[in-house]
Order: sequence, then C-alpha cells, then structure tokens
Amino acid sequence: MSTYTICVFTENSIGLLNKITVIFTRRRINIDSLTVSETERKGISRFTIVIKHEKREEVEKLVRQTRKIVEVLAVFGYLNDDIVYNEIALFKIATPLGSKPLDVDTINRVYKAWVVYWGLDYVAIQKTGTEVEIFDFFKYLKPYGIIEFVRSGRVAVGKTPQGLVEYLPEDMEWEYYL
Amino acid sequence: MSKIAEIMEEPVIASVSPAPEIGTVPKMLSGGQALMECLLAEGVDTIFGYPGGAIMPIYDALYDYTDRIRHVLVRHEQGASHAAEGYARSSGRVGVCMATSGPGATNLVTGIADAIIDCTPMVAITGQVASHLLGTDAFQETDVIGITTPICKWNYQIIDPDEIPEILAKAFFIAQAGKPGPVLIDITKDAQTKLMSKKFEYKKVEKLAGYHPRRVPKIEQVEKAAEMINNAKRPYILFGHGVLISEAVKEFQAFVEKTDIPCASTLLGLSGMPIDHPNYMGWLGMHGMYAPNVMTDECDVLIAIGMRFDDRVTGDAELFAKQARIIHIEIDPAEIEKIKKTEAPVVGDIKEVLNLLMPLVKKGDYTAWKNEFRKLEPEEKLKVTDRDLGGSDQIKMAEVVKMVSDKTKGEACVVVDVGQHQMVAARYYQFKKPHSYIASGGLGTMGFAIPAALGAKMGAPDRNVIAFIGDGCFQMTIQELGTIAQSGLAVKLIILNNNFLGMVRQWQQLFFDKRYSFVELQNPDFITIARGFGIDGHKCTERESLEESIDKMLNHQGSYLLEVVVEKEENVFPMVPAGRSVSEIRLE
Ligand SMILES: Cc1ncc(C[n+]2csc(CCOP(=O)(O)OP(=O)(O)O)c2C)c(N)n1
Repeated sequence: MSTYTICVFTENSIGLLNKITVIFTRRRINIDSLTVSETERKGISRFTIVIKHEKREEVEKLVRQTRKIVEVLAVFGYLNDDIVYNEIALFKIATPLGSKPLDVDTINRVYKAWVVYWGLDYVAIQKTGTEVEIFDFFKYLKPYGIIEFVRSGRVAVGKTPQGLVEYLPEDMEWEYYL
Repeated sequence: MSKIAEIMEEPVIASVSPAPEIGTVPKMLSGGQALMECLLAEGVDTIFGYPGGAIMPIYDALYDYTDRIRHVLVRHEQGASHAAEGYARSSGRVGVCMATSGPGATNLVTGIADAIIDCTPMVAITGQVASHLLGTDAFQETDVIGITTPICKWNYQIIDPDEIPEILAKAFFIAQAGKPGPVLIDITKDAQTKLMSKKFEYKKVEKLAGYHPRRVPKIEQVEKAAEMINNAKRPYILFGHGVLISEAVKEFQAFVEKTDIPCASTLLGLSGMPIDHPNYMGWLGMHGMYAPNVMTDECDVLIAIGMRFDDRVTGDAELFAKQARIIHIEIDPAEIEKIKKTEAPVVGDIKEVLNLLMPLVKKGDYTAWKNEFRKLEPEEKLKVTDRDLGGSDQIKMAEVVKMVSDKTKGEACVVVDVGQHQMVAARYYQFKKPHSYIASGGLGTMGFAIPAALGAKMGAPDRNVIAFIGDGCFQMTIQELGTIAQSGLAVKLIILNNNFLGMVRQWQQLFFDKRYSFVELQNPDFITIARGFGIDGHKCTERESLEESIDKMLNHQGSYLLEVVVEKEENVFPMVPAGRSVSEIRLE
C-alpha cells in the first residue's frame, strides 16, 4: 500500500465534489482525507485528496478518469516523496484541579505544538505536521486524557519549482489574487 | 397558494408571451422561449418528450415553435431517451429528449445510462421545482443532478433564465465533442417562466477551459504507430463504434485497403465495413465469429481503432491478445491502458489520425496471413451457420434475419433489442451501409429497440428501418407502439418469438444445469395489441409462409409488426464463456 496525494484543479462550481467522489466510490477507493480551497487564481479551486492504493496503474487510471470531468482543469497524482505536505490537528485536553500539569515546554520544543486556548479546566492544543508526527503527539498526550481530537485533511505542494497552475490551459484569462 | 397550484400540476403563471415576430421590437424572452431559441440555434429539429407540472412553461413556449421544431410525444420517458439515442445513432446529430421533474426525470435515466456507455450524443432537458422549493421535498422534486452525475458527461441545474443560452451552448458542445455522450440540463420552473434580463444572444461553444479534446494527434504517436504497422508480420485491426462516430468510414476503408491488413469489428463497429469486403473477417466478442475471435491469439501487432476492450470483446482481458504489441487509436485518453497495456497509444479523432497515418504506412504482403482467417471459416459454417440456417421443423431466428437481409440487399438500418435475437441479427444481416446496426451494446438495455427504431427512422427518414426484437424485450417498451402509430412513419418491427427470455435461458442451460428459473413467458397476442395501437401486422408460424410474410411486411406502406414464431430452445454460438479466454470459444 502506498499513499497517493491527488491534486485536482477545478472551476468553482456547485456539485463538483460529488462529481469527483463518485469516481472514487465507483472503484471502491476509500478517501483518507480531502481538502478544498480556492487557489491563488480567482474561481479556481484545488482539491487535495489522499488515498492508499496497492497499484500505481490503478491510481493513474483514477487520475485520468478524474480529468474527464468537464470542470476539472488539471489533475496531478503524487507519492509522498514528490511533495511537501502537512496537516493540522487540534487536541482538547482536560486540566481539572489536581491533575498532572501539562509540560508546555516539551509540547512546544519537542512536539512543535502550541496551546491555542486556555479554558477553565481544559486547554486546546494545535499541532501541525505530517500524519506520523501528529500521531506521535497523540500518543504523548494520551495519558493526560484527550477529550476531543480532530485532524484536517492534507495540504500539499509539489517539490518542483513551478506552480501547478502553470499546467492549466494556457489561453484562458485568469485573475490573480495578488 | 402556490403550493395548491403545484399539487394540481398547474403552472403558477399561466402563460408567457408569444415568441417575438421579426420586425417588431424584440421583447425579452422567457426562459422557456430562450430554450427554444437555443434549440433552433443548434439546428435541433426533433425533440422526444413528455410534459408534466415542472416543465409546463417550456411546453407552453414550445407551442409557438411547432412549425420549426417537431416534438414527439412518447408514452413513457424511457422511450424518449431511447428514441433520442436512435435518432442520434442514425443521423450522427445530437438526440434531444425532455421530461418533467421527479418521475419524468427518473424515467429518462435508463436511456441516459445507455447513451454514456455507447457514446451517444444526447441532451436531456428536465423541468425542476421552482428554485425556492429546492431541497424541501416539494411535489415531484427529485435530485436529478445527484442521480445522473455518474451517468452524464456533464449536468447542470439552471435557476436563472439569463444562464440558458450559455449553458445550452455548453451542453451541445460537450454532448458532441471528443467522445460523445449525454448531458442533462435541469431547469427550475421559475427559470422557465421568468423573463431574461438581457437580450437573447447565442454563441456556440467551440472549446472549454477544462475540456478541449485533442482531435489532431501528436505526430510522434502517429509515427510510432506507423513504424509498428510497417514492421508487423501478422497485423490485425479491431475497430469499434469510434469509426462510425467519427464519420471515418471512408478513411478507414482506404487505410485497410492501402495496408491490406485483415480487420474485424466489435459489435458496435458493425456496418463500419461492408460485410463482403475482402479484408473484413467478421466481428468478434462473446457471440462473435470464430476466426475474428481466435485470431486475436495469433497476431503480432493489434491495431485497435475506436474500441475500448470491453469485457464482452476480450473475455479474460489478461489473456486477450497476450502475445501482441498493441496500438490503440482512441479519442479519450482515459481509455488508454484502462484494460490493456499499450505500446503505441494515439490519442485523437480517428479521421484525423487516419489522415496522418495514411501516407506513412506501406502495403504488406498478408495473403498467407489473411488465409489463416479464411481457413477457419468452413468449420464455423459447418457447425454454426449451416445449423442456424436450416433443417429443423421450427423456423430459426437466423433464417428470418438472413431472408430480410437478402430482400433488403443488406441496405436497411437494423435496430435490435437485447438477447439472442440481437446476436443473431449481428451474425446474419449482411451490412452494406454504415450506421446500420443500432443496438444497446454497453448497457444491454432490454426495451431499447421499439423507441430507438422510431428515433432512427426520424434521424434517417430515407432509410428502411427494421427492428428485430425478442418477445421479452418487446414488452418492456410496448407502449411506444402508440408513439410510432401517432408519428405516421413507417417502422418495420419483427418479433422473433421463442416464448422465452432466450439469452438467459441459454445461460441457464449451459452454465446452470438447465435449471430454467423464471425465463418462460406467457405472451399476449402481439398482433392484436399492435392493431389496438393502430399498427397492422400478422403472425407467421410456418416456414412455408415466411417469405410471403416478410414480403408483406416490407411492402406495407406504414409501420408494420411481423411476429415470427421461432424454435424455442435454440442457442447462439459461437460463445466465449464470460471471463474466459477466446481460446475457449465454443462452437456447439
Ligand atoms: C432491462 C434488462 N433487464 C434484464 C436483462 C437481462 N437479459 C438479457 S437478455 C434477456 C432475455 C431477452 O429475452 P427476449 O427479449 O425474449 O430475447 P431473446 O434472448 O429470446 O432473443 C434478459 C432478461 C437486460 N439485458 N435488460
């Protein structure tokens, strides 16, 4: 099983998420995570979809099928080595009176995580990192009592010097957010 | 109050202003009128449809356009989508169908699914509840966009009449460009009624940001393919529907003749090559011909043109043409290596590819190689054809098809339904002209033939349209006899009645120990039914009267139903058992 990150550039239109995901569900491919945001160009959205798969050819087929959607402008499939990627996680940790105090220094220095909210008897900690790093941190925090844990989908950029939008159709007029 | 109006299926706003006349100050068009103008701008002359609450403003607008657009009132919306397919397949133009929201839209679904898998250009228009009611489970509200997303090339919901020209132009472009397919446009009732806020202007779409299929192939790809073709010892061409869709029949024949390579078609490629052409070896697939199937194991270079290695063609895809180097000429890049590893993909429109390929290829000496195909023919003739065409007491399907073929000189447009009769028609009709085998190939939709035959006749009014239909299939869309009668056109329908769901019975006989589980039919009196609809017909039970029966049907002025009672437990051979290698082909 390898992890693949599929970046899909699309026009920003209603129902597109459904059009993309049916291609995955038809082939019974489970989506591990999914993130959507607008890109540096107006009206162009970027889907970052993470899946695990045994066969590279099957992922290539998936990419080609996704490209067939009319509103899809470009699709790229990556292995982890090809990209810089991260996720963000929030942990809610109970801190009732008399409980073992949190070692904020370790949290900051070792785990590069930050307390972003101090409640009366709990704190919210934010950690950015790869899946593995976030999971390590999870293990570290577990003894303190995790009330709630949430992790975002992956965001990723390719390691090539160009921007991916350079692969979008050339003769279109784009407006930039600059 | 509007709720009551909805429930009564009455339009909230009763009527829209009539179409503007030339010379008068142009009024703003309603959404419904704008839609009509779009259809005219796209050259649409025929719509297959059925009215209802949420599409009434469009039907009201249509009322003023009936001098320019012919609307065919089907009897069930499935009939509308299949008729649109038949129209598209015989004419090469976009088939248009139309239905109301909810049940009207869901009834279209089978035909839309059929169109996507057989690459048939279609624009389906559905009415939808008013935009303020969307998502409220309003009367006859169905999420048709959600339902049809996996089976449409594109779909879109319009809630503002101003969007209509742009979206319809996109719809017609997408339906036809690249690999054709169905597009569904859902229009809310308020968008049909409301006036546009700007002047109607229609600009045809020629290209979209995300969709601009490559027509002209990359020259390196063509050169690579040419080199492989020129160096082949035993090249073999398999061609499919793409050759017909791309209107490349002439170019394809010229290519075959120049190279002298033997070729065979898929089921939907049938009629892309005249059956008596010296390089044409027949068609392949599960019930295809012997030589075309087994020779896939013998070729060194396989040239696949406009076909997609469907499992009904390949059997076990892994083993299929395992020894061959493959060239795949195809417009849709997603088809490349979807099923078979390909050494030389050529992505582009087939006509364009062939035009570029022609000057690069050389004539080979394939006499001995072609003879290897021909050498296999006597065995098939002995074991299959001679048996199919003669002998027993009961009439056989093959005899009927053969006789109709002879009497129409192989020039009719043949529409078929799904089952044994579909395969027999493919085997025994001697196609001489292109676009002459209209079948539901990819989806195998029973009930396709009656409406598709009407559509085919409308798309090609000068052609003799003859449908071969099983007794089971006939009853799936039997109501469209009414549509045919009302059209006044001449469509010839032949029921090959074996009193069984024959194809399923054959599988039960061969693979399920003859345990006939729910395949025998108690049939109605088809001729009485047809007469009830206003279509004349008669039933033929004896071989002695078969010829006379066929003559009577062919010479009849209007539409006609000929029911032929055929051998009940006949099997279709050759047969490659599902999922097996073509080498396991059975002749008996
Ligand atoms: C809508 C639909 N339902 C079921 C099937 C499965 N099926 C394929 S062929 C067939 C039998 C068709 O019987 P008939 O129309 O009598 O034709 P025959 O095979 O006897 O020529 C059936 C049930 C299908 N293809 N389509």
